[in-house]
Amino acid sequence: MQERKIEELVREASRKGLSRRQLIQRAAVLGISAPALTVAMTKMAPAALAQDRPTLRIAQNAADLASLDPHYAAGTQDRALVDMVFNGLVRFKPGDSTQIEPDLATAVPEPSDQGGKQVWTFTLRDNVQVHKTGKSDAYTLTADDVVFSFKKAADENTSAYAGDYQGITVAKVDDKTVTFTLDNPLSPTLFLPKVANYSGGYVVPQKAYEALGADAFKTAPAGTGPFKFDSYTPQNSVALVANDDYFRGQPKLAGIDYRYIEESSSRESALLSGDIDVINGLPEGQWVDKMNKSDGVKADVFGVGEAIWLEINVTAKPFDDAKVRQAIALALSRENHVALFGAPVGETIYSVVPAQLMPGGLTEEQAKKAGVIYEQNIDQAKQLLAEAGVKDGFEIKLVTSQMDDYRRNYEVLQDELGKIGLKIDLQVVQHAAMHELIRKGTNPLVIYVAFRPTADTYLTQFFTTEGGNTNFAHYSAIDDAVAKARTTTDADEQAKLWQDANTQILKDYAAYPFLIKNLVYARSNKVDYGHELKSIVQLYPGIDETTSISS
Amino acid sequence: MLRHIFRRLLLAIPTLLVVVTIIFLVVRVIPGNPAVAALGEYASQDAVNKLEQQLGLDKPKWVQYVDYMNALAHGDLGKSMINRRPAIDQIKFVLPYTLELTAAAILIALILGIPTGVLTAVKRNTWVDYTGRVFSLAGLSAPSFYVGLLFIYFFAARLGWFPAIGAGDFHHLGKNLQTLVLPAITLGLIETAYIARMTRSVMLGVLSEDYVRTARAKGLAERIVLSQHAIRAALIPIVSLVGIFTISLIGNSVLVETVFARPGLGKLMVGAANQRDYTMLQAVMVVYALIIIVINIVVDIIYTVVDPRVRYD
Repeated sequence: MQERKIEELVREASRKGLSRRQLIQRAAVLGISAPALTVAMTKMAPAALAQDRPTLRIAQNAADLASLDPHYAAGTQDRALVDMVFNGLVRFKPGDSTQIEPDLATAVPEPSDQGGKQVWTFTLRDNVQVHKTGKSDAYTLTADDVVFSFKKAADENTSAYAGDYQGITVAKVDDKTVTFTLDNPLSPTLFLPKVANYSGGYVVPQKAYEALGADAFKTAPAGTGPFKFDSYTPQNSVALVANDDYFRGQPKLAGIDYRYIEESSSRESALLSGDIDVINGLPEGQWVDKMNKSDGVKADVFGVGEAIWLEINVTAKPFDDAKVRQAIALALSRENHVALFGAPVGETIYSVVPAQLMPGGLTEEQAKKAGVIYEQNIDQAKQLLAEAGVKDGFEIKLVTSQMDDYRRNYEVLQDELGKIGLKIDLQVVQHAAMHELIRKGTNPLVIYVAFRPTADTYLTQFFTTEGGNTNFAHYSAIDDAVAKARTTTDADEQAKLWQDANTQILKDYAAYPFLIKNLVYARSNKVDYGHELKSIVQLYPGIDETTSISS
Repeated sequence: MLRHIFRRLLLAIPTLLVVVTIIFLVVRVIPGNPAVAALGEYASQDAVNKLEQQLGLDKPKWVQYVDYMNALAHGDLGKSMINRRPAIDQIKFVLPYTLELTAAAILIALILGIPTGVLTAVKRNTWVDYTGRVFSLAGLSAPSFYVGLLFIYFFAARLGWFPAIGAGDFHHLGKNLQTLVLPAITLGLIETAYIARMTRSVMLGVLSEDYVRTARAKGLAERIVLSQHAIRAALIPIVSLVGIFTISLIGNSVLVETVFARPGLGKLMVGAANQRDYTMLQAVMVVYALIIIVINIVVDIIYTVVDPRVRYD
């Protein structure tokens, strides 16, 4: 018993790089004397310890999980875990979400035309093993599982992403082949993310799901990924173990100890003390610098960033007057908002669709050429307000979330608009309350923070009639353009249509894009993710079979 | 005594009904929607409506209330609206952590607080008294959140003596105690300060009582005067205070649970409130109310032990 305790302690000390003195102090706390520690350590075979694969301990900024059913997972804390347990037919290349490569499928297919309809055919890899669960055995994934999964993803009763799969018919050809027949053709840019490792695209194995039941699957899932679900400790952690039957090979890690730690200082201390290997960091340039100056740790800043923009209700008085909206645009400064996060965390954007992350956005040069940059000009803004008949300004009530990303941007907005006589009475409410209130139309000016995987989703959800209560601008001028772009299969032509739509939004002063806020994580220098960190749609560094921890 | 306990338990029923009804109404009045919280801001309105239907949130409020009270009467606290796990399972899991932390904190507070209070009263207006009072004032003024972060920084990040975060497994006593030390001291320090100041104040009153003067006049040793006469009398009001402190500690433990990333009832309640998880919030409040009732009954019983004059029959 004592030896096992010592073995655990020595492993821990080795991983954390504790000094001999610290090791003895920790042993003393556990009731192990220094001589007993020394004797036991000499008996231990060093090779046996070294051969063990380490477990990666990662801390997320969350109180608990919400759902590990990939078709419901929405928060970063859930998306990251889901990504380690499940696969898509294709996947965003690890570390670089701008590229798509095969995952459960053997290749990324080209669409074909069958009877006037677009058809995508996927051939599955051989011997993809579904994880064993307490209620179902491991088995080989087949086309039946894929068909089941996409039908589940398209069903409002079993998926939060059902809307993304309407007009798509999925069918089994044989055990290894499935087809997706589309009512309306889509470009690869729009279709492939639907079958990739993101949201509804994750393949949920039928037998495992049915054996566990829908409710249990939310906290104890089974997929085909490099790590298998092992246990869930509410409010504390989720443990995953290596899937040694993984089709890409045995993971270099023994497993994942995934902790929920809301408090940023606690996460930071846990990283510095060696209790944790990877933490979700603070989205601040200063914090990144501080961590990079600390011994043994490194901060990583990477995409995909969440776009932050201001949306103006073009139907609400007095914002229905384009001059008032123009005045607002001229009162704002992107730099003020970027400064809240600092470089390299904050990056300016010139259209709501971030050009850095996906086709369809406007670069600075393109925005300048189109005349939609709108540099800050307070005098001209005041003059425009006078021309609109509101020379003395006016007061509006806005609600903001207590979360920093929202609150601090609203406070800067309050300051900026105050300079042109527009007074904002800002009320801070709980995050969930803000989302409900802005959807009910309480804010004529809405600052929103979001990542969406394609330009179509950004534009449809926030700037078209189809967007419903998230079209905060009550804007309809690009409805047709977005619909046309969606069915355009030529990638260049499609991107041009989205850029035109973005330009139109800005010309109508329906929105003012501020920045993208990149992801910030910090890790022990011993952690190697196994890939570059450029952009990752799952909003974490991407942990897979190639991730390792050096001793 | 048994009749008294039975009467208190009967009185608890209307108290529980009132608490549950208020919580039921309050969580539904404040803005926010569990379906949106569960699905995330990405979800379409159709998906939100569908989930609301599945959760029964589309029914009139009074129907929801009747359904809830009916389930409660059958001992069913419902399922979390977010992760669909039975609320009682989650409470059963976190409750031992909260009780463990609270018990350890109270123990620390009693072990440190009572001797400090007695000593500062006995050594009134000496450097011992001043030092004790300064430390207890510092303990009262320091926010537990900040103290916790300082402890983590020094004893975990710098010295490596204790883990920075987490809660140990109840099957591994050593590891469990190791993870308990810093949070328990953090939580216990404030109560130590309260108990020390309260003990000092009560002791000063007791020491000026006639019977203490008589005991001294009889030539009893100061040690006997204090232990047999003064401290025992001073303990009576402190016992009832410890009961109140225990209740407040269970409520206040959320900050310490958050800093040290420990599971706990307070954290469960705050998480449920943030996510508008109505059923979980209601379930936690029922358990809180029950804990308060039980603690009050226990304090009543202890009262009869420390003060023989008290009789409930």
